[in-house]
Amino acid sequence: MANKPIQGEKRMFMTGNEVCAYAALAAGADIMYGYPITPQNEIMHYWTRLAPKYNRSFLQTEDEISAGFTTCGGVLSGKRAFTATAGPGNTLMQEPMSMAEMMRIPAVFIIQQRGGPSTATVIYSQQEVTMTCYGANGEGLRIVYSTANHQELYDYTIKAFNTAWKYRFPTFVLGDGYQAKMRESLTIYDPELQGIQMVDTYPLVGLPGKAGADRDPAHLRNTYNTEEELYEVVKDLVTTYEKFAPEIVEHTTKECDDAEVVILCHGIVSRAAVEAIGELRAAGIKAGMFRPITLRPFPTAPLRNVVQKAKKLLIVESAEGQFARLALPSLYGLTTPMETIFKPGQGITSDEIVKKIKDMA
Amino acid sequence: MAKVIKIALAGEGGQGVQSVAEILTEAANEEGKEALYIPNFGVEQRGGVSIAFVQISDKEKVGSPKFEKADIVIALSDRAIRRCAQYVDGNTVFVYDTFIEGVEDDLPKGAKKVIGIPAIETAKNELHPRVFNIIIMGAVVRATHVVSEERAKQALEDKLGYKFEQDPKLRELNYRALERGMQLVEGQL
Repeated sequence: MANKPIQGEKRMFMTGNEVCAYAALAAGADIMYGYPITPQNEIMHYWTRLAPKYNRSFLQTEDEISAGFTTCGGVLSGKRAFTATAGPGNTLMQEPMSMAEMMRIPAVFIIQQRGGPSTATVIYSQQEVTMTCYGANGEGLRIVYSTANHQELYDYTIKAFNTAWKYRFPTFVLGDGYQAKMRESLTIYDPELQGIQMVDTYPLVGLPGKAGADRDPAHLRNTYNTEEELYEVVKDLVTTYEKFAPEIVEHTTKECDDAEVVILCHGIVSRAAVEAIGELRAAGIKAGMFRPITLRPFPTAPLRNVVQKAKKLLIVESAEGQFARLALPSLYGLTTPMETIFKPGQGITSDEIVKKIKDMA
Repeated sequence: MAKVIKIALAGEGGQGVQSVAEILTEAANEEGKEALYIPNFGVEQRGGVSIAFVQISDKEKVGSPKFEKADIVIALSDRAIRRCAQYVDGNTVFVYDTFIEGVEDDLPKGAKKVIGIPAIETAKNELHPRVFNIIIMGAVVRATHVVSEERAKQALEDKLGYKFEQDPKLRELNYRALERGMQLVEGQL
């Protein structure tokens, strides 16, 4: 019954939501908690169809606040637990997410961004960047992977479970409505065959023995009485996060070595940028791309290095500057001229990027 | 760079454009090509124009899921014709159904070619209304050559094989619809 859900490797053609469900299965996730919201519904649908065949569980909660907290609860009991949400659901889930930051609960959250503010569209956006990285009251002690294609959705959903449990910070896979709903090819695989060892999970509460006598107390708190006490705890969390950051941070570049114009973008928009670079290079314009894969922690030093050498910078995103605001502190003090394409809630094509860069020249 | 064929299929909900896109891209994937298909969807559960954006390339992965201008637009209702004008430029072949009335002024002016095909009538009079979308699929296959006729038939078999088993006449009906669709655009391209 509980045989391996994915044997060997296999080329598939499916939607991104389906990819996430398969990836969670392959990663050995024990349970998904969730509440339906478009465009991530099918993660739940596929999970509930697949999970019972492999002794995995699902709990539908009454809303996203509850889905987030039950995910945290599942993790505290030692289960590899995850949830998925989008838009207003992501908003509601910020409270449990910030508890996960404070108590270092290794929960995994899959976000498929839709338009905002509020109900807006069910289609697509990159408008949940600020919220996913820095939502809620706190310091954004989260790990956020921004994926660009189905292969990455699969790879990084698996990786998210390991990152979460290795470093014990809440970990996010940040997709979007396009990635959720489109179909394209990818190779799914048994992680073990790729040399990926799943990090063991363990209960964080209810441990054997008497706390204080047989063992140290688990001491999971999210409430503090004094400013000084909180300050110390948060400083300690920040220090731990920053210590791990260099091991976690990831980015990718395309033809940046001699690039005069650097396109800075993340997620699915990078696909348009890569296409645009092909066309621009063919037209004799030296364009390149820098793409953070982790939005938290942010690849500050490599970005700074690339932008420093460039003559111009173009930031492109399907939001009104949320990603730009995340990136700009890394560029403090540089004088590279910058332009932007900000299209909140709308997809971006290579044609627009090509035209903009030709206009910039 | 390898050429990516960009297709916009638009109709009324229930005309089956999304299933055509699904079968077609599955077929292309089976043929070892790279395909990307994304349905257009709004907040409404039904009603409104349903558009399928399809891109198929020989080898390289497809870039952004949406595009500005299509190589071929298939519009199957008056609203779909008006809605899809935005995807047409001088390189676009625009295919519409001649059964749709009162759209003469809405047909795109700058297209490479505008082709009217009697798919709705062919389905109704010669075949069966339920294979209307397979006629459309035939038209797309012939107009774009994104997959071979054999692969398209195999894809129908993969998708509908369980129904064909119960009623072999359905197989024949679907195959004929595919062939008729191909004939409808033949010679007009």
